[in-house]
Amino acid sequence: MSIQLRNFLRFCLIICVQILLNKVTLRWWSEPAGFPVFIPLLYPLFILLLPFETPVYLLLLIGFGTGLCMDMLMNTGGMQAAATVLVAYLRTNALNALLPRPLDEYPGQSPSVKNLGWVPFLTYSGFLILIHHSLYFTIELWSFTNFFMLLLKIFASAVTSMLFVIVYLLLFTRQISSRT
Amino acid sequence: MRNFIRFISRFFNLILFLVLEIVCAILISRTNTIQGNDLLNSSNAVSGFLYQRQNALVYYFGLSTTNDSLINENIRLREELARTKYSTDIRHDSVTLLAVPSSDSSHKIEYAKYIYRSARVINNSVTQRDNYITINRGANDGIRKDMAVISGTGVVGKVVHTTAHFASILSVLSSLQEVSVHLKDGTTGIARWTVEGHTPNADVMYMVDVPSEIPMKIGDTAWTTTYSFFPPEIMIGTISKVLIVKKTGKRLVFLKPATNFRNMMYVYVVENTFQVEQKALESHNIPIPQSPKGGKRK
Repeated sequence: MSIQLRNFLRFCLIICVQILLNKVTLRWWSEPAGFPVFIPLLYPLFILLLPFETPVYLLLLIGFGTGLCMDMLMNTGGMQAAATVLVAYLRTNALNALLPRPLDEYPGQSPSVKNLGWVPFLTYSGFLILIHHSLYFTIELWSFTNFFMLLLKIFASAVTSMLFVIVYLLLFTRQISSRT
Repeated sequence: MRNFIRFISRFFNLILFLVLEIVCAILISRTNTIQGNDLLNSSNAVSGFLYQRQNALVYYFGLSTTNDSLINENIRLREELARTKYSTDIRHDSVTLLAVPSSDSSHKIEYAKYIYRSARVINNSVTQRDNYITINRGANDGIRKDMAVISGTGVVGKVVHTTAHFASILSVLSSLQEVSVHLKDGTTGIARWTVEGHTPNADVMYMVDVPSEIPMKIGDTAWTTTYSFFPPEIMIGTISKVLIVKKTGKRLVFLKPATNFRNMMYVYVVENTFQVEQKALESHNIPIPQSPKGGKRK
């Protein structure tokens, strides 16, 4: 399977899962009273899993497209796109900080548990997802009057999103680990 | 010039990033107004289609709850019918039978005539600051902008945009829309969803600056008034909590919305057939030309 096709299929899968997650929130997720309602946002994972050698401008454009797609589905008009473009921009820096060698020495590979290891990969995805959620919820609430609620919303949403990221990794990582 | 090109190529990524963020900011500022949301919302063809498919699947699992709410509503309608049959004053129109309130029984005035259309909710949100609902009926079914939308239990919102087969509704859970409300003793006020210092939540709407001398109890009902664009006497919610604001000495009333926005499946779009005429009449009221005489007298 070519790398473009694989990424396209992953895009479709993640968007579909995200559509379902939007609905789950309405049914039972947000029932506890006094707790701010939130949606786990899984779709930045698509940006995180693009191949290492993707140039930054392409990352930015793909991020913008993905965000716009989510905006159409969630009626948020540009907020998701703004957060996703930020994630796409910071991705290269985060990977450079975590990997021992420069990025162009990993031809034809994508960030995954296999070539990064569990802890670095979770740090990488957790950091970027936290940034995405912080920007998105700050734009959405557009005020710091309820600062504590904003923080709670960001953290609850980020933790839930990370749970879904871990589930994704467990489902789609081949079991033969290269490190053993 | 060479330096400029070198500058561009060196910071190309950063510049592209900033340009895209500016585009996003423009999109946000455009879409968060009622007028500007026609481009990026879920009443357009692609996402409308997606949500309809998804809804068709999930619909079956909610059938029993839907059934229950339909039965409840039938019971309520039957009760109302029975009441109107035996009351002396009945206002007739082609669609509904309504009892005329006893205070104006001396002369009957039809000030509105309503046509109800049912529609199924195919996309819904309660978590955003301005929540929109998409329904599976559009301009082909006679849905037009600015029609009121109610559910079996209470108010829902206002149609803001239609396409041929879908329409999107700005729900009352939004910072852009207020509902005029009256309580049991006739006090009128305004109910809104966002109030400074309180997190918006799908379970609470607020009435601000209610004078403290008005009698009210927890559990009292709030209804729509005759001069909102909603039909009158539609339930908005029940009073769940009353706070006294120390600064002003007035009360902040918490309403629990009558509609359950989280699992709404059916809504009714209400067309007021006199609305166009009323709007046309009222539009004459606004421009008051300053007569040249009045200017001289001063």
